[in-house]
Amino acid sequence: MEGAAILTARDLGHAYGSIVALHSVDFDLPPGRIGLVGANGAGKTTLIKILLGILTPTVGTASVLGHDATKDTLEIRSRIGYMPEDDCLPLDINAAQFLVQAAGLAGLPKDAARQRASDVLTLVGLEEERFRRIGGFSTGMKQRTKLAQAIVHDPELVLLDEPTAGLDPEGREEMLDLISRLGGFGINVLVSSHVLGDIERTCDRVLMLDGGRVLDSGALSHFIDEDVVDVETIDDPDAFVQHMIARGANVESSGVHVRVSTAHGDPFDLVRDALAATGTGIRSMGPKSTSLEDVFLGRSGS
Amino acid sequence: MTDQGAVFDLGYVPYEGERRGRRGALATTYRDGIARVFGVRRRARKKVLPWILLVISVLPAVVFVGFAFLLSTFAPEAESPFGGHAEYFAITAATVFIFVALAAPELLIPDRREGVLAIYSSRPLLPDDYVMIRSASLLTVIAIFMLAPQVLMYIGFAALDDAGFFSALVTNAGEIPKILLATGVYALGYAPFALLIATITKRRGAATGTYLGVVFIGTSLAAALLEATDLPGRRFAALLAFADHPGHVSNWIFGTSGLDDNVVATAGLDPWVSLVTILAIAAVSGAVVVWRYRRLM
Repeated sequence: MEGAAILTARDLGHAYGSIVALHSVDFDLPPGRIGLVGANGAGKTTLIKILLGILTPTVGTASVLGHDATKDTLEIRSRIGYMPEDDCLPLDINAAQFLVQAAGLAGLPKDAARQRASDVLTLVGLEEERFRRIGGFSTGMKQRTKLAQAIVHDPELVLLDEPTAGLDPEGREEMLDLISRLGGFGINVLVSSHVLGDIERTCDRVLMLDGGRVLDSGALSHFIDEDVVDVETIDDPDAFVQHMIARGANVESSGVHVRVSTAHGDPFDLVRDALAATGTGIRSMGPKSTSLEDVFLGRSGS
Repeated sequence: MTDQGAVFDLGYVPYEGERRGRRGALATTYRDGIARVFGVRRRARKKVLPWILLVISVLPAVVFVGFAFLLSTFAPEAESPFGGHAEYFAITAATVFIFVALAAPELLIPDRREGVLAIYSSRPLLPDDYVMIRSASLLTVIAIFMLAPQVLMYIGFAALDDAGFFSALVTNAGEIPKILLATGVYALGYAPFALLIATITKRRGAATGTYLGVVFIGTSLAAALLEATDLPGRRFAALLAFADHPGHVSNWIFGTSGLDDNVVATAGLDPWVSLVTILAIAAVSGAVVVWRYRRLM
């Protein structure tokens, strides 16, 4: 069951001079892990800055955790965390000192800040490196430090702007794993990314932006149909295709390539039965998972 | 003793303690500012200059008091060749000036260059708060530089006074507001302009050099114009002697204007003109810094 919306926007718009970054944006996003999807320049960072109270919307309103993003900036900032996309770490102090400072900046008393800094650095796997200067960290360690400062004060919501930017495959896996775990800590997450695979891995809800407008919004399952089978036949597949259509399957064919999905039941069973019934030979057969990227490209017309 | 053990994975523990909001953010930023300019929690090379300058600022006061002790012991009738509080401000002014040139960029530039401002922007802290607290950190450190030797002298001279320690403290209490006022004038005379330069400069070294350069060149130019021209109103060229205005006002506060031999005094400008100049530069500098940070945060 979905709770009350943690993020809402009504006719939200923002322009940098003559350049419109957001236009008539409306959404109600419930608690959970939300993916903010869009190409570079879609308005993701502008939206995040409005939610943080850094930018004032040109028109419309936004609310975060029930508070007006324009009027209740300090209250909102006390309750959320933010991981910027760009560099944001002081290079001449160590990770433990920075985390204590980050917790203090969120309003935690000194002793609590020290305890939280230690706990969170352990959580992100930097317990061995806590007394090393951040200037000597690898990109992956810096990204984990950025995530740590965003959650060190135990926020109700954390906004992550391109959290896997610049990471190698191993670092990316670690970061996605950490983000996936945040929901289990009771922390709601808004992940902004143009890497749609990252959103699929970590989120249960998606808000798609394109050219500053909302393209679509909903649960991830609403976008992704994982039960699609691709088949490549040896000969003309016409009899095979007609057999499956007669049994209610959705079939797309192009030459010897056939894509099959069903509203109910396992499409693999249907394909197996159709192949046997029509005596059709195949070269290959396998699952075709519709990715978020396919959906985004399809809807944005790119 | 038991041969059985258990490992408990406590996992993530939510925080349910006190949250101080903006008050906590202000206090943390203030403490960070003080620690940063003194190089606390930084590499050793960051500590060297500020602490050397602090020692240079305080050491003459120790010498003054020590010399006064020797005179009171061995030659009670002799006059100390060193002056009092007013003269000491002229001594510390140079070290404070250099310290401010180093400290203001240290307070503002790394946060911008390293992107740490984005973290401040996500915390319960407004741009005006950030500027105010960074300024407060700098003013506090200037006060430490100027007041520490003055307090040492005040207590030291009182201890050597024939009238007795407590009696001397009370008798000389009239100096305290003057010391505080003069400290405030030096702080306002040096800090806001240094913060302005640090706001519009990208590198610490460049900011320090620019600040020292503008103040030195302005003061030298004022002196040169005063000497080289006979134009009417040339004395107002002394307004460019940025380094000399605080001392001119300080001597006015202590009633020792006759000791003034700087460019502003030579030009014959009234101390209130220097005070207005200091306040005007501080106001313009502060406004530009606030405007800039409202755009950045």
